Amino acid sequence: MLATPTPSLAETRDNAAFDALLWALSRPGLPRDLPEPGEQSIVTALLDRECLVYAADPLLMPEIMRTGAELADINKADHVFLGAMDTSDPLADIIIGSDYYPDVGATVIVRASIGSGPALRLTGPGIDGAVKVQLGGLPDGFWKVRAARLRYPMGFDLFFVDGARVVAVPRSTTVEEF
Amino acid sequence: MSLSTLTKPWEAMSYGFLDGSAKRELRRKMLKSVAVPGCQTPYASREVPMARGWGTGGLQVSLTLVNPQTRVKVIDQGADDSVNAASIRRFISRVAGTPTTMDTLEADLIQSRHRIPEEILREDQVLVLQVPNPEPLRPVQPNMSIARQMHADADYGRMWLQLYEQIVRSGRVMQGASYPSLVHGRHVMTPSPIPRWDVPKLHMAKHLTILSAGREKRIFAVPPYTKVEPLVFSDVPYKVEEHGHLTCTRSGATGFFMNEIPQDDGSSAFEVSDSEWGVKTIRARDGEGESRGETWYKDGEMSE
Repeated sequence: MLATPTPSLAETRDNAAFDALLWALSRPGLPRDLPEPGEQSIVTALLDRECLVYAADPLLMPEIMRTGAELADINKADHVFLGAMDTSDPLADIIIGSDYYPDVGATVIVRASIGSGPALRLTGPGIDGAVKVQLGGLPDGFWKVRAARLRYPMGFDLFFVDGARVVAVPRSTTVEEF
Repeated sequence: MSLSTLTKPWEAMSYGFLDGSAKRELRRKMLKSVAVPGCQTPYASREVPMARGWGTGGLQVSLTLVNPQTRVKVIDQGADDSVNAASIRRFISRVAGTPTTMDTLEADLIQSRHRIPEEILREDQVLVLQVPNPEPLRPVQPNMSIARQMHADADYGRMWLQLYEQIVRSGRVMQGASYPSLVHGRHVMTPSPIPRWDVPKLHMAKHLTILSAGREKRIFAVPPYTKVEPLVFSDVPYKVEEHGHLTCTRSGATGFFMNEIPQDDGSSAFEVSDSEWGVKTIRARDGEGESRGETWYKDGEMSE
């Protein structure tokens, strides 16, 4: 009879990071805590050799390379780390999947400040009525470019990371600015 | 870079049985299935020490989600004590060291075969449904490539034709379980073979539901507060099983989904299908304290 395995530190961290991501994605606009600040725990929880990754932030490269993921251009990558954005142009190249396989659409991780900046009103699955959230540090026209790219069910899913906090905006969410 | 950074200490078994790459793949696919509610996402479906078709899909999702604090409940057709449920529950607690429970209100993660508990699930709970056949279009289109094209086109006319034919032939919709339902107004999914009674519980629910088919290697999800509408005609309303007036012979509970038990004299006895709800009702009746939570159905009617 085997002893019950105990989770390693890495396993605990990945499990907590995924729990935060899944919870955030199923409740768009509501922040959740990652086990540690930054994108590192997302990298280790999700990425391995099967992934094609684009990272705009060179500081993330060592962590991504350690997972064995392959680096790719932004128009091929299934996981896109944009870091802090100064222009909305990268959104134009992110893959959005196909009508056959919408799940091929990329997972996009962006750094933003949660709780400051322009107010947004989110509606859609996972949201009881509507939810208001402030996301700062995003370039002008970010939400317009996103709306122009989405062809539901095709699209990409956004995670905004601010320190250890994460807010998700999946493709199914309608975003209104005011 | 040294060898020690590339390797891990030896373990007799990975935590939660599944290895790291299996978990990461499931995590990626789970995120995509939540992002596109009701859309079937293919995944690898690893081997687990259980035959395909006995809940391997649900088991893999549960093993990915659990940590040593997750309290797990497993039910099989409503019962916590059936062989399949007991085996899966014991397996999860053995390989992941999770506490287990039979109480719906205490559970963090509920893996279920073909029933949704009668008590309302909370925001912090996750329901994992085992799915034998994830493709609602299979009865009308056995070719899965063409079925995928039909999903891509939202071409669901034949689903209504199937229901129409049932009404013409039999006078009513004959679809008992796995009632095809439109999720978020876009994808038709099978809610797994839960009875019609349980489908309204998914509509705008507070909890996250993940449906996973291990044999068919597909995963899909219903996020909280998502529209789940059974396919109906405007002049033929959706009907749940007429169990609202039945009373459980063992607990005396009335107005819930019942199991019919044939008797020697040709009549039927009924007992409440959600076994833990029956146990709680008996405890309350015997004066051992009230532990029942709010239920979706009240007096046999789905509450708004």
